[in-house]
Amino acid sequence: MNPFKVAVAVARKDLRSEWRTRELVPALAQFIILALLIANFGFQIDSRNAPSIAPGILWLTLVFAGLVAFGRTFAAERDQASLEAILMTPASPVAIFAGKAIAATLLLVVCEAVMLPALSLFFGTPLGVDMIAAVLLATIGMAALGCLFAALVARVRARELLLPLLTLPLWIPFIIAGGQAVQSAMGLPGNYQEAIGLLIDFDILFVVLTSLAARFVLDE
Amino acid sequence: MIYLVIAYAFAVAVLGGYLVWSLRTLRKLEHKQ
Amino acid sequence: MNKYDRAAVAAVALMLVAGAAIFLFAPTDYLQGPVQRIFYLHVSSAIAAYGCFAVVLVGGIIYLRTENPVADRFARAGAIVGLLFTTVTLVMGMLWAKPIWNTFWTWDARLTSTLVLWMIYAGYLLVRRLADPGRQSARLAAVVGIFGFIDVPVVHFSVTWWRTVHPGPIIVNDALPPEMLATFFFSLACTLVLAGVMIAIRYRIETLLDAAQSVREPAKLIATAREPEPVP
Repeated sequence: MNPFKVAVAVARKDLRSEWRTRELVPALAQFIILALLIANFGFQIDSRNAPSIAPGILWLTLVFAGLVAFGRTFAAERDQASLEAILMTPASPVAIFAGKAIAATLLLVVCEAVMLPALSLFFGTPLGVDMIAAVLLATIGMAALGCLFAALVARVRARELLLPLLTLPLWIPFIIAGGQAVQSAMGLPGNYQEAIGLLIDFDILFVVLTSLAARFVLDE
Repeated sequence: MIYLVIAYAFAVAVLGGYLVWSLRTLRKLEHKQ
Repeated sequence: MNKYDRAAVAAVALMLVAGAAIFLFAPTDYLQGPVQRIFYLHVSSAIAAYGCFAVVLVGGIIYLRTENPVADRFARAGAIVGLLFTTVTLVMGMLWAKPIWNTFWTWDARLTSTLVLWMIYAGYLLVRRLADPGRQSARLAAVVGIFGFIDVPVVHFSVTWWRTVHPGPIIVNDALPPEMLATFFFSLACTLVLAGVMIAIRYRIETLLDAAQSVREPAKLIATAREPEPVP
């Protein structure tokens, strides 16, 4: 079976199922708005400190939304034991993994489409191509890692606890580089070019690694 | 310096303590066999 | 006194000799004073820890390819001993930081990546504890171990890069006089021997635990076969 077709088919199935139930995206969008609200009061944001604190809020919100989104990637399959069924087909596990990762990424991107304008509205952060590029690049690598570890803990007890513990340390490089990129996109000091370059390097590294690992994690 | 003493005391306690504990665990398991 | 006891005694004796070298032979640092002696065991522990995690990495890779339980047992042993040495590294590092930089913590590349290292392998051990023992646990942990081993240098590099924008405390150690260098290499060697002995002991413990488990498992299968699985 053509792996690309498999990946696309799996992605479409996931996206279609989300479209029908409309559970994840609205809930995440609400969560994001609430997070921004709490940040406003927690950090005592005003027009003076907003520019320096906003990048941090962006990443914290993204990280927690991401954990929820990827945590659910394999939840449906687990509940209906359909993961075993899919794996029994001749489709390659890497293709299946890629499909799920793509779907989860797209769902997260939709949430980012809510988050960035909201951030701009509430905290006056600029909303340019620079910002969007930085966030999207980081999302790719983070999604690959998030999905791999979601698959890994799918059949383990206390998976809701394990997923953040395993995934966050691996997301740190993305947050460091992404944080720099977003900060310099917002006009604060920082080397945008270098940060983006790092994000791309990390994306390549971790997408390759997760693809290699996928067959050991999904193969049961 | 007090920090020097505490640092090495900690290291000895942790590493030495673990060594002793693991030897005892090993002895208990060997006995069961 | 079996061979493990003897090996442990030898390792401890070596560490005592290293201690003598650290406190009696090595000269006192001109700038930092006696507290600089923390350096010898602190850095040796860090290297020993990373060596242990290399054992976890190799054990994991071999297990994924061959499903050989020996590899998995070494990985288990390496993770526990490695976490121990990482803890020692972190605490000694903090106790060294306080008198020198007047703070127990700072976000420099080394402390940060050591903390990440600790978190990753604590996660590794948690996965082992929570996953079904046997194949599932071994495979999942192997993946965690491999990613963990790669993540630490990536984090270290990222923080170093980040530090070019957010400069931090200056590490005071570069040029070491020969007596200090010799003391360091000797301490490192002794620490590695200690780590090796600890791994060997833990490996033996894991082997015995596995053997006990494989006796229990057939009995468990028979016991649970009578109860029907609940329908989801």
